[in-house]
Amino acid sequence: MGVDEQLSVQERAHLRFEAEEFLYREAELLDDRRFDEWLGLLTEDIHYWMPIRRTTQAKDVHLEFTKPGGMAFFDDDLGTLTLRVRRLSVGRAWAEDPPSRTRHLITNLRVTGVADNEMTVRCNFQLYRTRLNSEEDSWIGRREDVLRRVNGELKLARRNIFLEQTVILSQNLSSFF
Amino acid sequence: MSEAIITTDRSSIDLDNCYNELTGVLDRRIFSDEAVYQEELKRIFGRAWNFICHESQIPESGNFFTNFIGEDEVIAVRDRTGAVNVLLNSCPHRGNTVCRAELGTTRSFFCSYHGWNFDLDGSLLAVPNEDAFYRNDLDKRQWGLVAARVETYKGFVFATLDPDAPKLFEYLGWVGRLGIDMMLVDGDIRFLDGVHKNRLKCNWKFAVDNLFDWYHVKVSHGSAFKVGLVTEDAMAPNDQMVILGEYGHGIGGPGLTHERQAEFDQRHAAGEGDPKWYDLHASHRTDPAIREMLGPIGFRSFGHPNIFPNLWVTHTRQMCLRIPRGPFETEIWWFNYVPADLPEAQSQQTIFRQNHIFGPAGFLEQDDGENWSHSTRGAKGTQSKMRPLNFTMGLGRDKVSNDPSGQSAIETVVNEHGQRWTYQSWKEWMQADTWEALMANHSKPPEGNV
Ligand code: FES
Ligand SMILES: [Fe+2]
Repeated sequence: MGVDEQLSVQERAHLRFEAEEFLYREAELLDDRRFDEWLGLLTEDIHYWMPIRRTTQAKDVHLEFTKPGGMAFFDDDLGTLTLRVRRLSVGRAWAEDPPSRTRHLITNLRVTGVADNEMTVRCNFQLYRTRLNSEEDSWIGRREDVLRRVNGELKLARRNIFLEQTVILSQNLSSFF
Repeated sequence: MSEAIITTDRSSIDLDNCYNELTGVLDRRIFSDEAVYQEELKRIFGRAWNFICHESQIPESGNFFTNFIGEDEVIAVRDRTGAVNVLLNSCPHRGNTVCRAELGTTRSFFCSYHGWNFDLDGSLLAVPNEDAFYRNDLDKRQWGLVAARVETYKGFVFATLDPDAPKLFEYLGWVGRLGIDMMLVDGDIRFLDGVHKNRLKCNWKFAVDNLFDWYHVKVSHGSAFKVGLVTEDAMAPNDQMVILGEYGHGIGGPGLTHERQAEFDQRHAAGEGDPKWYDLHASHRTDPAIREMLGPIGFRSFGHPNIFPNLWVTHTRQMCLRIPRGPFETEIWWFNYVPADLPEAQSQQTIFRQNHIFGPAGFLEQDDGENWSHSTRGAKGTQSKMRPLNFTMGLGRDKVSNDPSGQSAIETVVNEHGQRWTYQSWKEWMQADTWEALMANHSKPPEGNV
């Protein structure tokens, strides 16, 4: 059963409002480089995943993305995400020193599933980054986030990131999506 | 140093003098000169045995994978006889790309422009309206896709577009073969689906140069040490070994001295003692058959092999291809493998390391790209490009030791022997007009003092 049959318009509007508030605030923390606070928004069992995308023939389109558990650009849990944040403050993390300037734009947001204390939120994003004098990167894609209510507060429990690029056109992926 | 040594006072690059192996000084315009780059595509990539894929990537008839030889796109495809063909991905009618996908399965390559249809071995099968429009005048046997020479070494597929190239086995020589054998210390391997690809704004040679570079590790990757992801002992040991091979192949990086190897063997036999940084690697090489395969010097090396020109073999069971995309851009492709008979569940640790160390989001590799792209930028500045680069570390201070087996190595501290050998060999490839000339005139790996 889809969310639209399960819930009233008011309930859906309320959930979407909550999801928007959460994800906008999360994006703000990332763009403000408040990474420690960002970690506080993640559940203990967060899974953060960006598969590799490939160009395929239309008939082989099931091969477009690599599968969970296989090769990926990101396949992180709270431990590795914490390491990614920690390395930014210990020195010699050159990919981010000088720090990148990022802006997360989130759009086309929809709550696509609800279960118990969780909701699945789908959105489109653009992550825009500039570095140094005039270096510029832009990643556009779609996210599937699972938000879970923990002690009355929403937290991010899963993030699947599907980029539109096959060959990543940037020198690295040192930002959070 | 006199001014003459630190400036390049010629208005255009001079191949014969761009690198001086006696001084270790390199004209940095080789990283930015458009004419040099075009010659590299012809003289190096057009001539070399280029790594294409592993056989397990395309196990069935019709399976294909697209790759590059220099800037030319090629298709690796298994045909109905079970052979792997490597075909130039360009239709001889108007030049259109006949295979647009990176991987997949097909019965033939059907050109999307006018419909010429090519078999899995490249031969031209059919042409629309051959009778009515071509009046049956077209000699189809003349108009297939160009097929490269293909040879494999232990499952790794290489191709060359030069009919005069020596056999792959001979091309690799013992050093290139040793580099690949290092992937096989736990037996056969299989390819894991998914090649990490990203693009850097650097000249391809800076990426190659870096794989021999154990000087940058503590600096470029300092944050990984500080958060405890890697240890200084393991990642930047002072015990280094460099192995140099014909045609520019090389292996450079950590190596166990005889004493340390003996220490390890003793500790391993007794099953006790303080674990050391090299135990993880060395424990894959206790089997006498593996030691025999790698040889008496090779089995003590944990360095990074480069299969000339652009294939880096790692100790995380990965291969990294550096594909030139113009003088100022390089695509980095990571091929990932696990032992063939290791169950999926037990492969997770290897996969974890492969996803987290290298690749554009890798804890180590994300910090490399900017250095290489800015080194490339430095090769463009009107003034900066006239100042040569320094490759003098350890020059003239070390000795090659030979083993009765025929293997040889330089056992020393962190150094730039591997880089110097790469540029010296690069120069010889660029100077030679033919494979015949290259075979006759290339330097043999040095002996004695280096
Ligand atoms: S270009 Fe391929 S059929 Fe015309
Ligand atoms: Fe590095």
